[in-house]
Amino acid sequence: MVLAERSTDVRNGKRSRGPSPNGHGSPDSSSEDENVVPFAAEKIRVGRDYQAVCPELEPVEQRRPEMISDRALLVWSPTSDISDIKLDEYITTAKEKYGYNGEQALGMLFWHKHDLTRASMDLANFTPFPDEWTVEDKVLFEQAFQFHGKSFHRIRQMLPDKSIASLVKYYYSWKKTRARTSLMDVVGENRNATSSGTGKRESGAGSEPGGSDKESDNDEKKWTIHRGIVRGGRPLAGGGARPAAAHTAQGEGGGEGACKSCTVCGILCSQTTAHNSHKLCQACLVHARRTGTMRPLCGPSGRRGPGSKQQRYKHRLPRGIYINHDDLVAMATGPQPGDPPQPGLVNQGEAMLKAMDREIISLKRQVQQNKQQLSAMKRKVGDAGVEELRPGEPPAKINSRWSNEELLMAVTAVRKYGRDFQAIAETLGTKTEAHVRTFFVSYRRRYNLDAVLREHEQDRAHILQGTTSTESADNTTDSSNSNSGAASQQTSTKDEKTEVDSEGVALGAPAERGGPPTTPPPPPLHKHKPAK
Amino acid sequence: MAMQPHSKKRVCYYYDSDIGNYYYGQGHPMKPHRIRMTHNLLLNYGLYRKMEIYRPHKATADEMTKFHSDDYIRFLRSIRPDNMSEYNKQMQRFNVGEDCPVFDGLYEFCQLSAGGSVAAAVKLNKQASEICINWGGGLHHAKKSEASGFCYVNDIVLGILELLKYHQRVLYIDIDVHHGDGVEEAFYTTDRVMTVSFHKYGEYFPGTGDLRDIGAGKGKYYAVNIPLRDGMDDESYESIFVPIISKVMETFQPSAVVLQCGADSLTGDRLGCFNLTVRGHGRCVELVKRFGLPFLLVGGGGYTIRNVSRCWTYETSVALGVEIANELPYNDYFEYFGPDFKLHISPSNMSNQNTPEYLEKIKNRLFENLRMLPHAPGVQVQAIPEDAVNDESEDEDKIDKDERLPQSEKDKRITGDGELSDSEDEGEGGRRDNRSYRAPQRKRPRLDKDGSQIKDEIKTEDIKDDVKNVSSVEEPKKEVPPNP
Repeated sequence: MVLAERSTDVRNGKRSRGPSPNGHGSPDSSSEDENVVPFAAEKIRVGRDYQAVCPELEPVEQRRPEMISDRALLVWSPTSDISDIKLDEYITTAKEKYGYNGEQALGMLFWHKHDLTRASMDLANFTPFPDEWTVEDKVLFEQAFQFHGKSFHRIRQMLPDKSIASLVKYYYSWKKTRARTSLMDVVGENRNATSSGTGKRESGAGSEPGGSDKESDNDEKKWTIHRGIVRGGRPLAGGGARPAAAHTAQGEGGGEGACKSCTVCGILCSQTTAHNSHKLCQACLVHARRTGTMRPLCGPSGRRGPGSKQQRYKHRLPRGIYINHDDLVAMATGPQPGDPPQPGLVNQGEAMLKAMDREIISLKRQVQQNKQQLSAMKRKVGDAGVEELRPGEPPAKINSRWSNEELLMAVTAVRKYGRDFQAIAETLGTKTEAHVRTFFVSYRRRYNLDAVLREHEQDRAHILQGTTSTESADNTTDSSNSNSGAASQQTSTKDEKTEVDSEGVALGAPAERGGPPTTPPPPPLHKHKPAK
Repeated sequence: MAMQPHSKKRVCYYYDSDIGNYYYGQGHPMKPHRIRMTHNLLLNYGLYRKMEIYRPHKATADEMTKFHSDDYIRFLRSIRPDNMSEYNKQMQRFNVGEDCPVFDGLYEFCQLSAGGSVAAAVKLNKQASEICINWGGGLHHAKKSEASGFCYVNDIVLGILELLKYHQRVLYIDIDVHHGDGVEEAFYTTDRVMTVSFHKYGEYFPGTGDLRDIGAGKGKYYAVNIPLRDGMDDESYESIFVPIISKVMETFQPSAVVLQCGADSLTGDRLGCFNLTVRGHGRCVELVKRFGLPFLLVGGGGYTIRNVSRCWTYETSVALGVEIANELPYNDYFEYFGPDFKLHISPSNMSNQNTPEYLEKIKNRLFENLRMLPHAPGVQVQAIPEDAVNDESEDEDKIDKDERLPQSEKDKRITGDGELSDSEDEGEGGRRDNRSYRAPQRKRPRLDKDGSQIKDEIKTEDIKDDVKNVSSVEEPKKEVPPNP
């Protein structure tokens, strides 16, 4: 499990092994070879100093498994009494309402012996300590980290009340979060890299196997940039913070307001006021009115909109990041933008951000859950759906595609049943009534169905008049000859068709008899449409 | 061995929430944090609630000295980053300092890792569970009195020793990319534990694990090494894993299995050089699980931590017999899993240097060795009255202790020298000083040769050990060492 190369150098002799002749473990290297070439590989050692002493097998009758202690504390055992959904609900409440983590929530449930209601009620009584890391701690940590890297001992000197364990834990939860990988950081780091000429080191990271962690970190960071995820909302203050800041007090359509920028401090805000040929934001305006001078700038400065050219390099914000005055005000002071910032109110902004963070997390959770569900559904459809769509299993299955045979049968059926689509569908067996309907519409011309219908009507008339069916059978064959596009096919099945026809009429006759004879032969609607 | 279908089992999981907080040091690839990441993923996948969750006790020095030497454990207990300078000599002796640095909470870390595996073994012994998992364990390089390869205390050996109280034979399988030398060494001379290790071999840490290393003394043929080359992919891995493990199960017939799931054999590992996917890695777990034996799963290597936690999460789901979605649930360390946020990973396009022929050859060699096991049914045992007197006595001893075919033992004594196969010789040869392996020596009768080796051992190693062995010739029953 080790950096092999490194260890050989370090431990002279102890682990050293020359390039072993059997290097790539070729088992077929002849045994002679191996006797000649010194074989310097590590060997398993034999002796009392190396082997374990196996305990004797306890005879079955002497075993007392119940007497052995578990040497572990049971903190959760599964239960079948509670459904997954209920459990999920419970955990979500515990998480979102009381700040538990999933494990703590289940621990509580287990404590109550899987009694969901009692556990739910007890949740409020044991809310876990909130994050013991204050904002100051976090800032200190970041500073210390920038200074010392991952030497937690040194970091600890700046944060003496934290244990190393706590520092490590915080480090891992912090390193991939927005606070660390925000655009601000990335741009800042790139700038450092180029200015101090360390860019080279970074590019060489790949070539050095098992290189230092710093490099791997950079690697990982590059990753996060590559994936182009805009995480959180906050650092991209211009975009992300606005909706949640909910500064309705500022009035004005947010979209329009966002485009304005103060000509003094250059930050975007929703409302500017004309003042001595300047357009001022609220803060600058207040300053100008009170002092009669323009506000001196200390922060991100320069009279610049996002397009201005005279930005000084040092002060430029990373691309894609804009400071919106309104957001700053909202963050600093809470809902009253006019008030001067007070230290006590800073927490308000913080609370707001925390709430936003929580919201983001729960949304992300939702997103992943939805993705999981989607893929599960897809899989289901993939498994079962294809089965259903697979063609041609039992012949009686409904199928919307028309085979030649079916088409032929349909035409004869029309000849026999006219517009009784249901009857046609039943005769065909492989089509629904709707299928037949569409067939009728789309093939009406091609198969000259109007003519067929006419014959049908005539037949009916004949039957009603008691005439024989032979004549009609002849007619059918004639018509089918005239309308067919594929003559050969038609002729090949001609016999069959006539047979069906005559039979059909024979069958049809009793139906006619049983059916209401009152149905008048409907005047063919299509009479004016001559068949082609 | 009856194969059982993929089924739901009672699973116990051992985890201490502190284990992620230990930190080997800046730039060190071993990150206990990966265990916490795994845990968090399990929790958010809803697998946590399907298992019994245990917080293991911290293993005591007493428990750890069941394998390790007293002064080594004493040293581990007393050393701290701030008093390192006082321990220079011992640090060299115990190989602590470079790969195995002294870090804050080192001893506690060892206690937790070992405590988990021991508690898991106890659980299996009590038959209170079919599968136990300790991702914090699997530190397979640690030796009796020496740290090695990021491992200080060998939790696996401790766990197996616990299992041996109730199980005549225990099988150890190691799918870490590195050779499981610590475990192999610990059980190199016993026939009650068979160690099977699949690993990259050739200019690679720790340098051991030659195909010809097959065990010694009574444990001869009870160490199985599968040396592999770079770029093993899922298909090749399964093609060698399945036949070997099936054969081992058939011939060794263990009553419990320990699987070390080192995740550095995955593709894209920071230190590894294989090309396995999470699925291919987990397949091994699935295959072993099917044998339906009491099953202990431990962690091990794995240095691309996002993949480690993916892998172990998936393997937990395999152990549980539960299917989990490929989309990762949101979790505390979600950002680590970008850009795709999926459970499964794709192999790289690296070339696989293990040709099917090569694997076939290895397989056949190993099958030859496995045929030497007294257990193999219907196979002629070709072993000879082996080695010196002490071995003979051990054989007798074995008959006393377990119920293996006595016929094979008789065969052993009858079979002549001439039937020796080459592979055996090589096996022995790989292990020791090459001076004794010049061609003329090979021609000498085997008994002689091994006799000379034993003399070597007497000189270089522990005299008392051999004296004890010799004395045990007369009284084989006393040979079993008392439990410390």
